[in-house]
Amino acid sequence: MNNAIELRDVRWRAGSSFALRDISMSVPKGSIYGFLGPNGSGKTTTIRMFMGMMKPDRGSISVLGLPVPRHMKTILSRVGYVPERPHIYPALTVDEQIRVHSTFYDNWDQGWCRELLTRLRIDVDRKISRMSKGETGKLLLLLALSQRPDLLVLDEPTDGLDPVVRRDVLTAVLDYVSERHATVFISSHLVHELERICDWVGVMDGGRLIAQLPMQHFKNGIKRLRVGQPPEQPGDTPFTLLARSRDEGEESLETWIVRDWESGMSPYFQSVGATLRDVIDLDLEEGFVELLRSSRPESEPRT
Amino acid sequence: MFKSMLFLHWKQARPGLALAIVASFALPIIAVEGLGRPVGRNAASVDAYRFIAAFDSWLPLFPLLALGVGVVLALSAWNWDHQLKHVYALSLPMTRWEYTLKKLLAGVTLCAAPAAAMWVGAHLAAASIDLPTGLKAYPNELSIRFLLATLISYSVWFALAAGTIRTTAWVVGSCLGFMFFGLIANDVLSTYFVYFEQVVVVEEIINWLMHAPGPFEVFTGNWSLIDV
Repeated sequence: MNNAIELRDVRWRAGSSFALRDISMSVPKGSIYGFLGPNGSGKTTTIRMFMGMMKPDRGSISVLGLPVPRHMKTILSRVGYVPERPHIYPALTVDEQIRVHSTFYDNWDQGWCRELLTRLRIDVDRKISRMSKGETGKLLLLLALSQRPDLLVLDEPTDGLDPVVRRDVLTAVLDYVSERHATVFISSHLVHELERICDWVGVMDGGRLIAQLPMQHFKNGIKRLRVGQPPEQPGDTPFTLLARSRDEGEESLETWIVRDWESGMSPYFQSVGATLRDVIDLDLEEGFVELLRSSRPESEPRT
Repeated sequence: MFKSMLFLHWKQARPGLALAIVASFALPIIAVEGLGRPVGRNAASVDAYRFIAAFDSWLPLFPLLALGVGVVLALSAWNWDHQLKHVYALSLPMTRWEYTLKKLLAGVTLCAAPAAAMWVGAHLAAASIDLPTGLKAYPNELSIRFLLATLISYSVWFALAAGTIRTTAWVVGSCLGFMFFGLIANDVLSTYFVYFEQVVVVEEIINWLMHAPGPFEVFTGNWSLIDV
């Protein structure tokens, strides 16, 4: 089993308004997997599915090679989880929360916990209800990391944090990964943040996983092409055409957004009587937006 | 792990629990206040019947206190979990029944504190009065009854509070609805069947629940600290 998380045809419906539709996802062991998607796309619901908090209507899930929910206890003892919203008891102090939390985990590393307290500058005597969002975020990460997990699941861990705290959090995660070779599953709608750290990316939209590929492939494979004398019907393209638009003022020039582009594909344009004027790299955010745009029906709102 | 669960419950229940301990300690002492003459005087002059009757006026407060302690501990058991939508609890490496059982046991342990306070208070109260001939004090029995009533109250409310507000509302609403419509149905049926003139089914069920061998008999049993 080379995947830390595996979902097969997972389906779940909440009334008529929202559903996860046939999600099949594989998170390779040892990878940092970025889980992208706009708000409300189903990222948190998917996480709750494989964390055993919700039961899918259909499909199968395994985490760290063990089926969910049958082996949930073993799985959760090896998973560090930072949820979207703080989930710890607000009336406790940091010290009390650490003492309580540590008793549930056999692998708890008190030395590493103390080191993180210093590194992340967390005051142990502080009451959790009086902590800022950034301090709470750092504490949640500290609790998850001190468990010495094989899999770290972070649901929007830096959402709403200031840049300094964000850097602290991501640095702590990266240090942990480089030391332990753990798998990290990090959900976010902040595309730039994931671009720097992830080696795999999955994109959710409207309850569907619309793309899942290595980050390098994602970054390099989505391009903006400037095409002269474009054909009416593109026919069989060696790449995936995500969108095309005519350039204003220039009748014979179009901009194409394509996926799975490789440099050896230029001859296609000659074969259809077109000319390839330019190949422009898109950054991850542009690629992400174009991917979402192409996956949605025309009537749906654009991101 | 259990220690942590106990700590969390104690932390959440502290104010209510402190109040319950003080009330449990004070109630028997207040109940006997002014009943008898100080120890050493002639107790025979005090009328035993009047003595018991005077204490009886305090009796309803004992089961009510037990009920209240159970409610406070049960609600505090789940309060944080409900507030946090159970995410923390569900992310812990424990099965759901294991978590629930440990939480239940933590509350059961805390129930012992007010019962212990009642035991101390009841002994002090018994020692502070000079009982008339033929009467005896039962501080141990009273404390055990209080503990049992607290545990039953806690267990029932723990189960009710564990669910969502909707589930709890359904359960409580169904009970109240059964009583309300049961009484109406009994009234209607009594015009057709003589049996229902003699027997009110809802009352019978309540009697069965509240008296031996019903599960809530402990609330309606003998709560007397002083008896023959």
